[in-house]
Amino acid sequence: MEFKTSEGRAEIQLTKDGSSFIHEGMILHTGSDLLLEIDGRKHKVTATKVGDTWWVHVLGHTLQFEIVEPGATKADDDGGLCAPMPGKVLEVLVTEGQSVNKGDPLMVMEAMKMEHKIIAGSDGIVETIHYRAGDQVSQGAELLSLSE
Amino acid sequence: MLKRTLVANRGEIACRIIRACKEAGIESVAVHAENDAGTIFTEIADISVQLNGEGLAETYLNQQQILDVAIDQGCDSVHPGFGFLSERADFAQAVMDAGLIWIGPSPEAITKMGDKMTARITMKEAGVPVIPGEEINGGIEEVIEVAPSVGYPLLLKATAGGGGKGMRAVHHPDNLESEAKAAMREALNAFGDDRIYIERLLTGSRHIEIQVLADNFGRTIHLGERECSVQRRHQKVFEESPSVALDSELREAMGSAACNAARAVDYVGAGTVEFLVTPTGEFFFLEMNTRIQVEHPVTEMVTGVDLVREQLRIAGGEPMSCRELFMRGHAIEVRLYAEDPANNFLPSIGPLKRFIAPTGPGVRLDTGVREGDSVTPDYDPMLAKLIVWAPSRKEALQRMGRALDEFVILGCVTNIRFLRELCDHPDVVDGWTTTDMIDRLWPDGWNPEITQSISDAGLLIAAACESTNHGKRILLSQEISKAPSIFSTIQRRFP
Repeated sequence: MEFKTSEGRAEIQLTKDGSSFIHEGMILHTGSDLLLEIDGRKHKVTATKVGDTWWVHVLGHTLQFEIVEPGATKADDDGGLCAPMPGKVLEVLVTEGQSVNKGDPLMVMEAMKMEHKIIAGSDGIVETIHYRAGDQVSQGAELLSLSE
Repeated sequence: MLKRTLVANRGEIACRIIRACKEAGIESVAVHAENDAGTIFTEIADISVQLNGEGLAETYLNQQQILDVAIDQGCDSVHPGFGFLSERADFAQAVMDAGLIWIGPSPEAITKMGDKMTARITMKEAGVPVIPGEEINGGIEEVIEVAPSVGYPLLLKATAGGGGKGMRAVHHPDNLESEAKAAMREALNAFGDDRIYIERLLTGSRHIEIQVLADNFGRTIHLGERECSVQRRHQKVFEESPSVALDSELREAMGSAACNAARAVDYVGAGTVEFLVTPTGEFFFLEMNTRIQVEHPVTEMVTGVDLVREQLRIAGGEPMSCRELFMRGHAIEVRLYAEDPANNFLPSIGPLKRFIAPTGPGVRLDTGVREGDSVTPDYDPMLAKLIVWAPSRKEALQRMGRALDEFVILGCVTNIRFLRELCDHPDVVDGWTTTDMIDRLWPDGWNPEITQSISDAGLLIAAACESTNHGKRILLSQEISKAPSIFSTIQRRFP
């Protein structure tokens, strides 16, 4: 089974023993509650699925594992600059065709009453600006694209 | 004695006030926007009224509509909570003009303290020390002109504001213009007033505030301090009482300065006087918050005073019930936010698919959400306040660590793990908490420390749950075993 995590991709072969699963010396007992056993000590864990992502609470950590369909390939960031959260564009600080340096502010957004700057991740030329000041944007929307 | 109170707020503070009303035998009326229908505070209030309109301006900030509801529902008083209309002198006046009791200080006190410039002048006159700074009335040009005389690093603040909005730190003159523009714009959006104030940023200082309480019988007392130094983006995330930086002598000096500040504006009710305390033990007046504060529970835990109940008592014309100040043990509050501390603390949204709060001795949770609710970008991203009390600071940190480990929130990214690591950080354990500490400890941003064994365990759990359809299967078997209800038969539609 393959998952996408914040650290990259992770693959796992499950070993099953009744309703228990074993991996790297750890045993997970499944049922209506989940119990994780490490070195003979047990820990209550919680997991739930939201969309294609399993959210796991284990030993005070909250981790996310997105299921990767077998054979599917998803392109990672392609140089586009995306809205980090839903909100409103307050100000566009650059024009199309303008060359910018890594770290330059490109746009100012507002969300939850706070302002956030969209910063160039690399040197490049502003190719397209997709939104104007006053526009509402959803999370993940591509705000503008830079060419190298 | 009050009979029926309208609570002009939402979320956890509305719940806090409604519960205090219930305990005091006062009926409560909640007002809510359409998108808050069905949340906890609308459910626990005796009466809930939906406000017309969308967005904050048409709902929670709509003075006339809220006042109309108060009159329609036969309320005798209005509690504003914090934020929203709590520091609007015009609203306080309108409430009083309508013949109702405003649960808070007089409009005059709000005005004097709400305007940071007037507050400074009033405090100087009352002999309370203030930070060097200048007010700006002439727009961006004046900011540039005045900045050199204040000196760098400096802080831009909204004259009308609070809560970190419109507040910007400037470390170098090159950034002054853009930061000042941003601060003025934020101030205009948040408070309808773009005046800003420049003051010297005192690095390495602590933010320590004194809780005051005053009644109509001539009594003004302080209830000790809250140390709120740990902040991100000028918003507090970790608050405690008592502060390790105060001995009884400094506490008395600051406490009496705070009481002088309150008396200078004939303050009535609960209020907070904020100070910056330098590493050498000098203290400067920052501002006075003329309302109940987010972090009021830590004071309640160590002093045994129910602050909201005292507010209701004082507003109802009774004397406060507090005896002499007696601080016992140690209390810590952390603010749980829907935000991603690994991504510059940006707000996050999502469903609260699981929300399992910690319990046990000395653990208190103030929240307005529960499992099944969703976090939307419509409101402040604070999900809950987790407060612990223990006999000593060390034990309070251990208890907070345990409670945070138990806290499960799945479906929305939160700062729980960040707060958990904070409790274990040597600087926090040693009490070396300063307002710049998050930048000092994590200059390149924070990332969780996840061991190989934790990520292996997570992977095992995710894979096992996926292969067993965890969660779904239980629901299915419940549905099958459920006897068919006659109501579901009646509701069934036929073509």
